[in-house]
Amino acid sequence: MKRIDTTVRSIRKVAEGYFELRFAWELPDNGDPVIGDPVIGDPVIGDPAIGNPAIGNPAIGNPAIGAPSIGGHVNGGHAGDDSPAPGRFVTIRAGGRYDPALRRPFAFSDYSPDAREAAIVFQLRGRGTAFLADLKPGDPLDVLGPLGKGFGSPPRSTRPVLVAGGIGIGPMLYLASALAARADAGLGEAPTLAMGFRSAAYVPGLPLPPGAVVCTDDGSYGYEGTVADYLAGYDPGLPPAFYACGPAPMMAAVGRLAAARRAPYEAAVEQWMACGVGACAGCAVPLKSGAFVRACADGPVLDGDLVDWEASL
Amino acid sequence: MSVSEALDMSVRVGGLVMRNPVGVASGAFGYGEEYESLVDIDALGALYTKAVTPEPRAGNPAPRLADTPAGMLNSIGLANPGLDSFVADKLPGLRARRCAVIVNVAGKTEGDYIRVVERLEAEDGIAGYEINVSCPNVAHGGLAFGTDPAQVERLVRAIRGAQGARSPRRPVIVKLTPNVADIASIAKAAEAGGADAVSCINTLVGMVIDVKARRTVLAMRTGGLSGPAVRPVGVACVYKASRAVSIPVIGLGGISDADDALQYLLAGAVAVQVGTALFARPETPSEILAGVRAFMEKEGVARVGDIRKMLA
Ligand SMILES: Cc1cc2nc3c(=O)[nH]c(=O)nc-3n(C[C@H](O)[C@H](O)[C@H](O)COP(=O)(O)OP(=O)(O)OC[C@H]3O[C@@H](n4cnc5c(N)ncnc54)[C@H](O)[C@@H]3O)c2cc1C
Ligand SMILES: Cc1cc2nc3c(=O)[nH]c(=O)nc-3n(C[C@H](O)[C@H](O)[C@H](O)COP(=O)(O)O)c2cc1C
Ligand code: FES
Repeated sequence: MKRIDTTVRSIRKVAEGYFELRFAWELPDNGDPVIGDPVIGDPVIGDPAIGNPAIGNPAIGNPAIGAPSIGGHVNGGHAGDDSPAPGRFVTIRAGGRYDPALRRPFAFSDYSPDAREAAIVFQLRGRGTAFLADLKPGDPLDVLGPLGKGFGSPPRSTRPVLVAGGIGIGPMLYLASALAARADAGLGEAPTLAMGFRSAAYVPGLPLPPGAVVCTDDGSYGYEGTVADYLAGYDPGLPPAFYACGPAPMMAAVGRLAAARRAPYEAAVEQWMACGVGACAGCAVPLKSGAFVRACADGPVLDGDLVDWEASL
Repeated sequence: MSVSEALDMSVRVGGLVMRNPVGVASGAFGYGEEYESLVDIDALGALYTKAVTPEPRAGNPAPRLADTPAGMLNSIGLANPGLDSFVADKLPGLRARRCAVIVNVAGKTEGDYIRVVERLEAEDGIAGYEINVSCPNVAHGGLAFGTDPAQVERLVRAIRGAQGARSPRRPVIVKLTPNVADIASIAKAAEAGGADAVSCINTLVGMVIDVKARRTVLAMRTGGLSGPAVRPVGVACVYKASRAVSIPVIGLGGISDADDALQYLLAGAVAVQVGTALFARPETPSEILAGVRAFMEKEGVARVGDIRKMLA
């Protein structure tokens, strides 16, 4: 991780209240950020600082389904690693010298090594994102990252089923393209992506992977209903491996689906952050065990089965 | 020799000499590991650790943070791995640091503080103790101590009594809460109890309500306010405390740049700590040190300790 003063390459509105921000980002010369070595044998997540017992590595699939593939791998990324892997994030200074005092976290939605460019997709929420939405190409941008732990590779012979809602679309589109590239290289099954939006106006004007399913609450675009409704009747053809990022009710619903199918579930959580690097214990995410983990350092990708979604709602 | 090399940046607190006046505040920096790649930790004057309590603490329910105008609220709840794990897992890394490592000590009872200090007296690699009598977060926690002069004096005396025969004796720094009517009387009580210094301020009690959801943003409802918004409160507290006692005062609260730090030094502080500003800009401590040096060169001040004599 590092803090860099970089510049905005482009900013554009991609849907009602959603923007894509692209910025210059140099990777050190240590290879391909997306298809890297397997991230197995990572230490257990959780820091005794917030009282978490060993709870297993969230980036590794459920052992009931099978060990993770050892071949090409979606690079989970970890502290000390500078790869902008899917599921990892940056924090951006979104305002003036003193205000807001806290940086704002956003997940990578893309990274292009050739263009030396990274991207985020963000939703307009308050003053920080309003500041970002007003940026122009060439404006300075203060970025800290890459932070946190990204997604792990799906277990062998499973169908990666990706689920996105709201602000989760950026990281899930990125993961979908990484998994599709991996499948093209013969290293796994092609993913499917289901995305939920309020209505057609919120469907982003971004390149969607082939076969992506769009669900809208009001049926104004694609499937009428929630992604959970859609997935309840969906047959992945293979045992599924769930990946999700979105609002807590959606995350909880995907958790119930995964449990019903005894499928692994990697969940990218959202929690307000102060330091973003694991030092302050502010971004605590409650687990069903009663312990807490840090969204920024132990996550944001966690074993969705362990997260107490009710307490997060 | 250039003027810059001739500057005396050192700060004396009891028997401890810190090599410069800029430290990182308790709770903002963990035990240092996480900021390794972002901050030149060895170049700091001091590192104040996250609070250490006798038992591990999981901390408060989430959410623990709220964003406020030029600041933030936290209700971390003194989450920490506890005394045993601190000694086994965190202290070895801290011992290797070149800066002064000050352990922030918290507890629910006088006995808790004593237990932590007694145990740490047996360990090397610690430069001093900062006694957190002011954390507003934990029920039955520090607040009762820090708001009552009699209790502060008794607690400090007990901690002093628990110190072993180490020479030089490690300084006991009492960290004051601003959530009191008269901070000067608390500072005096700390001095009377035998404190080597006081630091101020800890966070101010605050609350944020999400109007749309009609509920408080923090699960604990209230939390501690920090960041640029509290700086004027901190500067005033340092001003009052430093005029009430003859022991050194260490200033903190909302320090984001050299100018902020200089306000504290002019108000009477011998040293400063940076907390919340680290989150926005991890380079803040080194920038402050450079800025204070530049000020001293420009004003012809040779010793950083002389800045506090310059307030008109
Ligand atoms: C790991 C991670 C990845 C994320 N990725 C994305 C992404 O890819 N795209 C995206 O659009 N969003 C993402 N988010 C959410 C994004 O960070 C927030 O939407 C953004 O910070 C809002 O900032 P704002 O200043 O516009 O809103 P604000 O005006 O600050 O806040 C809007 C609301 O949130 C509350 N709030 C704001 N900050 C805090 C805080 N620190 N603690 C408690 N409450 C707070 C406010 O009280 C208000 O109700 C991510 C969050 C995390 C943790
Ligand atoms: C996330 C967070 C955790 C903190 N934890 C502690 C702590 O454990 N012990 C303590 O004495 N102060 C703690 N503080 C208070 C700070 O050390 C400091 O007194 C206060 O934040 C004001 O300084 P600042 O505005 O520079 O942050 C904490 C502050 C924050 C923001
Ligand atoms: S935001 Fe500080 S530990 Fe996660």
